[in-house]
Amino acid sequence: MTKWLKSRRMQSFLGDPSALVGSALLLGFLFGAIFAPLVAPMDPYDLTKVDLANFLIPPAWMEGGVSDFPLGTDDQGRGIWSTILYGLRTSLIVGVSVVAISSVIGIVLGMLGAYYGGLLDAFIMRAADTVFAFSTTLLAVLLLGMFETRGIFTVIVAICIADWVKYARTIRGSVLETKDNAYVLAASASGAKDARILFRHILPNALPPIFVVMAVDMAVVIMLEATLSFLGVGVPLTEPSLGMMISIGKNYVYAGMWWMVVFPGATLIAMVVGINLFADWLREELNPKL
Amino acid sequence: MATYITRRLLQGVVVLLLVSMVCFVMFRYTGDPVLMLAGKYATQAEREQVRKAYGLDRPVYEQYLTFLKGLTRGDFGRSYVSQIDALDMILERFPATFELALTAISISFILGVGLGVVVAVRPKGAVSRMIMAGSLFGISIPTFLIGILLVMAFSVYLNLLPPFGRGDTVQIGFWRTGLLTLSGWKHILLPALTLSGYQLAVLLRLTRAGMRETLTEEYIKTAWAKGLSPAKVILKHALRNVLIPVVTIAGLSFGELIAFSIVTETIFQWPGMGNLLLTSIFETDQPIIVTYIMLAAFIILTINILVDLLYAVLNPRIRYD
Amino acid sequence: MRRLTLMTLVAALVLALPTMALAKADLVVATDAPPKSMNPHAYSSDANLSYMSNFFDGLLQRKAPEGKLAPALATKWKRLDDVTWKFELRKGVKFHNGNKFTAADVKFTFERMKDPKYSKLLNIANSIQSIKAPNDYMVIFKTVKPVPWFAETMHMNFIVDMESSKGRDDGDYNTRPIGTGAYQLVEWVKGSYVRMKANPDYWEGAPKYKTVDIRPITEEATRFAALAGRQVDIVNGVPVTLFERVKQMGHVEIIARPARRCIYMGMSNTAGTPFADLRVRQAIAHAINEEEIIAKIMRGQATLAHQVPDVPTVGYDASIQRLPYDPAKAKQLLAAAGYANGFDITVAGPNDRYVNDEKICEAVAKYLAKVGLQVKLDVKPKSIFFDELTDYKHQFYLIGWFDGSFDFGRSTEKLLHTPNKDMGMGTYNGGKFSNGDLDGQIIASSSILDRAEREKALQAINRMSVKEVAWIPLHYQQDIFAVVKGKNVKFTPRSDRWIVAKEIR
Repeated sequence: MTKWLKSRRMQSFLGDPSALVGSALLLGFLFGAIFAPLVAPMDPYDLTKVDLANFLIPPAWMEGGVSDFPLGTDDQGRGIWSTILYGLRTSLIVGVSVVAISSVIGIVLGMLGAYYGGLLDAFIMRAADTVFAFSTTLLAVLLLGMFETRGIFTVIVAICIADWVKYARTIRGSVLETKDNAYVLAASASGAKDARILFRHILPNALPPIFVVMAVDMAVVIMLEATLSFLGVGVPLTEPSLGMMISIGKNYVYAGMWWMVVFPGATLIAMVVGINLFADWLREELNPKL
Repeated sequence: MATYITRRLLQGVVVLLLVSMVCFVMFRYTGDPVLMLAGKYATQAEREQVRKAYGLDRPVYEQYLTFLKGLTRGDFGRSYVSQIDALDMILERFPATFELALTAISISFILGVGLGVVVAVRPKGAVSRMIMAGSLFGISIPTFLIGILLVMAFSVYLNLLPPFGRGDTVQIGFWRTGLLTLSGWKHILLPALTLSGYQLAVLLRLTRAGMRETLTEEYIKTAWAKGLSPAKVILKHALRNVLIPVVTIAGLSFGELIAFSIVTETIFQWPGMGNLLLTSIFETDQPIIVTYIMLAAFIILTINILVDLLYAVLNPRIRYD
Repeated sequence: MRRLTLMTLVAALVLALPTMALAKADLVVATDAPPKSMNPHAYSSDANLSYMSNFFDGLLQRKAPEGKLAPALATKWKRLDDVTWKFELRKGVKFHNGNKFTAADVKFTFERMKDPKYSKLLNIANSIQSIKAPNDYMVIFKTVKPVPWFAETMHMNFIVDMESSKGRDDGDYNTRPIGTGAYQLVEWVKGSYVRMKANPDYWEGAPKYKTVDIRPITEEATRFAALAGRQVDIVNGVPVTLFERVKQMGHVEIIARPARRCIYMGMSNTAGTPFADLRVRQAIAHAINEEEIIAKIMRGQATLAHQVPDVPTVGYDASIQRLPYDPAKAKQLLAAAGYANGFDITVAGPNDRYVNDEKICEAVAKYLAKVGLQVKLDVKPKSIFFDELTDYKHQFYLIGWFDGSFDFGRSTEKLLHTPNKDMGMGTYNGGKFSNGDLDGQIIASSSILDRAEREKALQAINRMSVKEVAWIPLHYQQDIFAVVKGKNVKFTPRSDRWIVAKEIR
C-alpha cells in the first residue's frame, strides 16, 4: 500500500492540485449517483411519491421555499436536488457504458485492421473515416431521429455506433508502430498465435493513448447525452436526465424561475470539468502523441 | 498526386452512395407518412389511394431506385409535409446556416488562435492562467447550455440582445443576408458566440500546445539569436508552422460544427437548415431528412478532401501514393 | 469621373439596403405554428388554414367571435333535398392575378380536392357525387350519401383559380397562393415570417392594415420574449407557463377565451383486458384530479369538461356531469372488479400537439399510480403517436378534439363507433372502444336531417358515451391572446384560432 502511494505516478497525481480537484469532484458525483436512493429526499420518478401540489417551489433559502426541497421543485413537483442525483445516474451510466462498449469495439476492430491489413483494414478504415467525418454528435442525432423508441438503451446504442471510431483510429496508429518492433517479430517467429501476439504483446503498448482518449471521451459522451435529451431525441420524459431538466426549465427562465436551469446546468459543468481536469493530468502524465 | 485525388473522389462517391442507401432504408421503417398525407378525416380507402399516389406501396428497393434516379437529376423528392421540393427547402435555409457558421468560425479562429499564442508566450502570467481556466470551461460546457446561459444573461436579465430569429434581412439575388443590417448583427451575436464556444476552446488548446512545442525548436532559437523582433519571430516563424495542424483539425471537425449548429439554431429559432432538420425529424418528413444528410455528407466530404489536399501541398513531407 | 459614378452607386446601395430591410409591416402577428404549404388544400390543420384564410375565400365564411356561417364567395345557399346543395355565387369577384371568379373555378377546386396529390381534404371532396354549373354563378352539388354538415365545411374549402392552377408547376403552386382573399402574399421566408399586402379590390372592401407580417414562433419562451420586447402587435398562443408574467406587463392586454377543443382520455373496453369492466373505467375516472390539473398545470387557463362536445356543438347536453375526483371510491371500485392490487396500464399521448399535453399525461399517470395501478408513461411526438393511435396500439391515451362543423355526428363516427375500415368508422377510436348499442345509434343519427331531432339523437349518444366511460373528458383548453397596447389594434379572437387579418381593425 505504502509502496503504491510512494510510486512516481501517485506522487505526481498527489502533487497536481487540478488532478486532485478533478478526482474529488468525480468521486463526489459518483457517490451521489450510486447512493442516489439513499441521499435523495425523494424518488422523483416514483409516480406515487411526486405530488403536483408541490410544483414550482423556489430553493429553500428563498421566499416560499421549503426545507423538503432544498433546491426547489420543477413543474411536476419533483425536487430539483433529487432529480439531479437521479439524473447523474443516467449521465454516468451512459458515459461509462458507451466508453466501455465503444472502446472494446474500436480496439478490436482497429487492431484487427492494423494487424492483418489488406481489404479488412481498408473496409474498417473507410467506415471509420465516414463516421468520423460526420462527427459523433451529428451521427447520434441523426440515428436517434430514425429510431422510434426513446430510452437510455437506444441512446447508448446510437452513441456507440458513432463513437467507436476514435478508438479504432487511435489504436491503429499504435499497432502500426509496434507491429514491426523487435519483440513482436520475435514472438511471431517463435510461433506464438496471432491472438496471443495481439493481446499480450501489442495491446499493452498501445494502451496509454487509449486511456487518455477514454477520459476525454467520457466527458464528451456525458455532454452528448445531455444534448440529445435536451433536443428531445435522448432519454424520454420518464427517465431522469440533466439535459431533460434543462430543457424543461428553459421555458421558465423568463418567469424568473432560474433554479430549474442553473442547478442541473452547474452540476453538468462541474462533472465535465472534473473529468477534463483528470484527463489533462493523464495526458501530461502518459504523454502520448495524439 | 493525380491518382490520389481520383481515389479520394471515388471514395467520396462510394461513401455518398452508402449514406443514401442507409438513410433511405432506415427511414422507410420509421413512422407512416400516409396518415399525415391523407389528413385527419381520411378513410382507409383514401389512405390506400394516397399510398399508391406516392408510390409508398411499392417494394423498398424500387422506391430507392426511383430515389437514386431522382438524385442524378438533382431531384430529391418533395417534402411530405409541405409538398415543396426538398432541395429547394433546404437550400433556402442554407444562407442563414452558412452566415451563422462563418461568423462562429471567424470568432473561434481569431480568438482561439490569438489567445492560444498569448498563453503560449506567457504561460505563467495571470491573464494566461485565466484564459486557460476559461478554456477548460469552454470544453466542458455543452453548446446548448452556453446558449441558454447567454440568453439568460443578455436577453432576460440585461435585455441587451434579442434571443431569437435573424432580425432584418436583405435579399440579394438568391441569397438572403442578415449581415447588412444592424438588427441582423445584433441577432447573430448570441448564436454565433454559442456555436463558437466549444471550437474556440479546442483551437486555443491546440494552438497553445503547438506553440509551446515550436518555441523550443532550434530554428526559433536561431531567429531569436538573430535579434529579430518578437512579433516577427512569434507570428511569422512560429505561428505559421502551428497553423497547419490547427487549420487541418478545424476543417476535419466541420461535421461537429454542423451538428452543433442544429443545437444552436434550435435554441435561437434561427431559420437555418438545422432547425428545419429537427422539425422534420419530429414530423417524420423523410425527404427533407434524407436531403439534409446527403447535403451534409457532401459538404463534409468535400471539406475533408480539400483539407487533405491542402495539407499535402503545405507539408511536402507527406507523400500520397 | 467613372470612379465617382461607381462610388455614388455603391454609396446609394449601402444607404438603400437598410431602408429596404427596415420597411416594417403595419401589423405583426406572432403565432405558434408555421405554415406547411401555400396550397390551400394541402393541410387540414387549423394552423395552416389560418394562413390560407387571408389569401383565399371559401364559398362561405365564419365570422369572429362565435363562428356563425356567413356568405363569402357564395351569396346564398340552400339544401334542395337529402343529397343536393345549391350555391349562388358572388358576381364581380377577381383573383389576385386578375382572372374572373366563376362557377368553373368552384368545380375545378372541388375536383382538385379529390386528388390526394394536392389535397388532404379528401373526406369532404370524396363525399361529392357530382358538381354541376348551370350558369357561371350557380353551383349544384350532389353528395354520395346524405351529409348533414356539408355546408358547414364550406368556410375551409378554399377556392383556387382554374386558369392559372392548371398546368402550373407544383412547387410554385405550393409556395405562391393565388386566391380571391383580402391579402396577397408578398414573401414567405420559411422559418421566419409570412408577409402579405392588402388586396385593394377586395369584394368586402380593402382591409385596414396595408401590410401584415405573420411570424410563426414555435417556442413558448420565444413568443414571450417577442411580446416582452414589443416586437409584435398580437400574440396567438400566450404560453400558460408564463401567463402570470404576461399579466404583469403594463403594455400588454390579454384576451382569453375558452377554446372549442376538448382534451380527453380515450379508453378501450376490449374483452379480456381490465378495461372491459365498467367499474375499472369508472375507477380510472374517479382517480383523476382534474381540478388540480387545471389549477397547476394549466394555471387556471382551462375549463373543466363534463363531456367532449362544447356548448355550441349540436349534441351538447348541459345535464351531463363528470365523475368526481374520489380516490377512495376508485380503490373500492378496483377492488370490487378484482384488481385490488392494480394492473399494468400505459398512459399514452403526444408531447407536441396540445397545450402542456405531456405534462397532463404525466399528472394522469401519477393519479393512477396513487390508486394502486402499475403505470407506464408513453408520450412521443405527434408524428409517431398518431400513427400508433390509428393503428389501435393504445388502450388509454390522451387526445384533443373539436369538430369544425359544429355537429357532434361526424365526431361520433370517428371517435366512438367500433373501428371499421371499409365504412371509414372509428379512425381515431384508438382503444377500439366498442358498444353495439352505441354503434346503432350513431348510424341511425347520420340520416336524421331535422335539426331538433338530430340534436336529441346526438345528445343521447353523448350521454351514453359518458355513462359507459368510453372516454374521460378533462378540460376545454383556453386560448390566450395578447395585444400590445398603444397602436389601438382591435382584435377579436375566433373560436378556431385563425388569424384572419381583414377582421383586425
